[in-house]
Amino acid sequence: MAGLELLSDQGYRLDGRRAAELRKVQARMGVFAQADGSAYIEQGNTRALAVVYGPHEVRGSRSKTLHDRAVINCQYSMATFSTAERKRRPHGDRKSSEMSLHLKQTFEAAVLTQLYPRSQIDIYVKILQSDGGNYSACVNAATLALVDAGIPMRDYVCACTAGFVEDTPLADLCHAEESGGGTTLALALLPRSENIALVQMDARLHQDHLDALMEAAMMACKGLSKVLDSVVRQHLQEVSVLTRE
Amino acid sequence: MRETPLSNCERLFLLKAIEEKKRLDGRQAYDYRNIKITFGTDYGCCTVCLGKTRVLAQVSCELVPPKDSRPTEGIMFFNLELSSMASPGFQPSRKQSSELLVTLNRQLERCLRNSKCIDTESLCVVSGEKVWQIRVDVHVLNHDGNLMDAASIAAISALCHFRRPDVAIQGRDITVFSPEERDPVPLSIYHMPICVSFAFFQQGTYLLVDPCEKEELVMDGLLVIAMNKHREICSVQSSGGIMLLKDQVIRCSKIASVKVSEITELINKALENDRQVRKEGGKFGFAESIPKERITALKREQAPVEMKDIEETADEIVREAEAPSEAVHSPVIVATGTGQVGEGLQNTWGLEEEDAEEEFQGGMDGKEKKKGTVCVCVCVCVGCAGFTHETIVQLV
Amino acid sequence: MDAVHSCFKDKLGQAVLPGDVFSFAVSAVEDSAVRAEKVICGPGLRRNGDEILVCKSGILRHKAPNLYWIDSQQKRYVPVKGESVIGIVTAKSGDIFKVDVGSSEQASLSYLAFEGATKRNRPNVQVGDLVYSQFIIANKDMEPELVCIDSCGRANGMGVFGADGLLFKVSLGLVRRLLVPQSEIVKDLEKIFPFEMVVGMNGRVWVKAKTVQQTLIVANLLDSCENMTAQQRQTLFKRVAEGSL
Repeated sequence: MAGLELLSDQGYRLDGRRAAELRKVQARMGVFAQADGSAYIEQGNTRALAVVYGPHEVRGSRSKTLHDRAVINCQYSMATFSTAERKRRPHGDRKSSEMSLHLKQTFEAAVLTQLYPRSQIDIYVKILQSDGGNYSACVNAATLALVDAGIPMRDYVCACTAGFVEDTPLADLCHAEESGGGTTLALALLPRSENIALVQMDARLHQDHLDALMEAAMMACKGLSKVLDSVVRQHLQEVSVLTRE
Repeated sequence: MRETPLSNCERLFLLKAIEEKKRLDGRQAYDYRNIKITFGTDYGCCTVCLGKTRVLAQVSCELVPPKDSRPTEGIMFFNLELSSMASPGFQPSRKQSSELLVTLNRQLERCLRNSKCIDTESLCVVSGEKVWQIRVDVHVLNHDGNLMDAASIAAISALCHFRRPDVAIQGRDITVFSPEERDPVPLSIYHMPICVSFAFFQQGTYLLVDPCEKEELVMDGLLVIAMNKHREICSVQSSGGIMLLKDQVIRCSKIASVKVSEITELINKALENDRQVRKEGGKFGFAESIPKERITALKREQAPVEMKDIEETADEIVREAEAPSEAVHSPVIVATGTGQVGEGLQNTWGLEEEDAEEEFQGGMDGKEKKKGTVCVCVCVCVGCAGFTHETIVQLV
Repeated sequence: MDAVHSCFKDKLGQAVLPGDVFSFAVSAVEDSAVRAEKVICGPGLRRNGDEILVCKSGILRHKAPNLYWIDSQQKRYVPVKGESVIGIVTAKSGDIFKVDVGSSEQASLSYLAFEGATKRNRPNVQVGDLVYSQFIIANKDMEPELVCIDSCGRANGMGVFGADGLLFKVSLGLVRRLLVPQSEIVKDLEKIFPFEMVVGMNGRVWVKAKTVQQTLIVANLLDSCENMTAQQRQTLFKRVAEGSL
């Protein structure tokens, strides 16, 4: 992979996008009948499925019950066929536990948990095909699923990755760009208030570039929020057409 | 074991103090606690004391076959253990695999591995067959807040301190020299990434660096920025479900760069000291770094607490204060004996017996009052556990 | 009479270790001189037939006429009947509150054990509040129980704390020194500025002064009194009073 240019001289990336262009996003809500809320999202070649149950009684250990808020329980797993090589351990390893933790924290900040004391909200996310931006796809899918379940939230939570190559920030990285050795920043944003719910970055980046990188990620998230918004509105329209007399 | 819960009173006080920009031990908002770095007798063993938080890191190496996907690179392995001695809340059961453990481990990995601080190509001995596997084990010995920073400082200091055995290759033969035959070789380290933790309070309005344990219990969220002294950010991670603004993150990174350069200085100085001592043949190691004939537990480091205007405010308070309420009697001590279940509670059943009881208790009260002062002194000590019944005849 | 006291006298004020034995060799020669004497063994001393064994390490102390005990240093509290402690309410279940006192078991506090509490009129105690109460049952065979009233039914200074102030933990030895009737430490502290203090025998101290800064100063001073001699302490307090620290 050494010779692959992440950004060509004309400004085209590996898959032909421009630097600040997002991948094609397609989403559907209400894909499962059993769950309280569900959603499916495709971001380029990354596909994620999210399912929400709740708010329901706290299962498992009763000691986890919080007397003034709801407990949010997240589980992240990757399908064994989602990556190029078959994944040996789909969940339970450290990376998945960390992802689950991050998802939990992201949504604890966004969901109005004070409305449901002593209850639990479960969010299960599965990656069906992984091509970079796993975390962002999960967050976007979970947002749609929560909206589908009717759980009150402060705002949409949109997430996107951004990278930095030769002084140019790239938005929405694919797998080749992520593992190319450059910087990767994942950002979860509440678009209206510009509050950052989670920021995560690996690999070296000079301090001066941080501002530009974060700005690029935030623009990408805002663009994504518009797409999610249109998906929700379309879904609502479909549903209301069916239920109207 | 169960940890002591945090009372509402402490939480309110801490938040109020933070609003007034005061911390429990008198530090400023952006100050670190005292960092003490000591090295052990073996190469690669390092203890870091960040205030009362103590962390031990040990580096070891082994020759193994490399990974298939990367035949020319060495392997780095990081492991962090929360020892049960560090805090009553750390359970030894693996099944729990607590959130804290996962977070710390992943952050340590990301900070040190993804930033490529060690030259892994230099760890290759025979491409495709034998490479060095460097293993960093970090153990938390005492938890008083901010484990992440302490762990990262310990890990990077241990890596800088470590020496691996020298290797000579002749064709297909590999000879590993023991430390006596040839001096061991240090690892080639490009840069030293150090984590700096920021605690947020009151929805991000107040920011503290290096939170202690009580502050960690009260905080809304944590932001960890790993940087090196060349002002390169190696990792950023926010956790705890807080809402941040972009400016806050930028500001934190600026503060972090200042702190990191100070800490890197400290590490370099400690390494230099250790090298000097070893060269001169003096004694080195943990035993030397622990001071003798000094009280080590239950002591307080000298803490700078702001003292301005104490006299004036004190006088003012005394003038304006109301008279204090009556002194409280000492608590009633009943003689020991066999089980006295239910004694002392008020009768809530009928009202007929009330008068009779009052008379009796009035009499008792009078007697106790006289003995009041004497009672306290004796019972204060006698009250502690473990004295036999037979030897006690009468309590005053 | 002297046989017993003389045994103790040479070790008085010295450090003794567990396993030290005080045996009284009663010579059966003179019957008239042998009288039954009462010796009260305080904490740290156990009777074993005709001998007294030391079971804790510490300094041997004596109080006229016949009380001996070991002054030992300990951080963990063991409940003893009649002692007043500061507890933290951890749970409300049915008719009782579960209170954490820092011992091996949580103590229970009935909601009727407050002044003026009846079945209809419940006390205003929330989870996480501090209570100053005393033990009514505290032995090794039963769960410890607390009450906030004395035998007359009056509160007598006990009950729930207000919201302000700072709670911190010290060792049991320091607590005993603070509770001595004419405690020097308290007298010295009073001279600096006025403050309220509640000392629980389980090592917890609650302090409240007019401003946050003063509260912090008092808390730090008390913490540092642990291992100081009287001389050092007075010098330190004098420096603080002058405002030069």
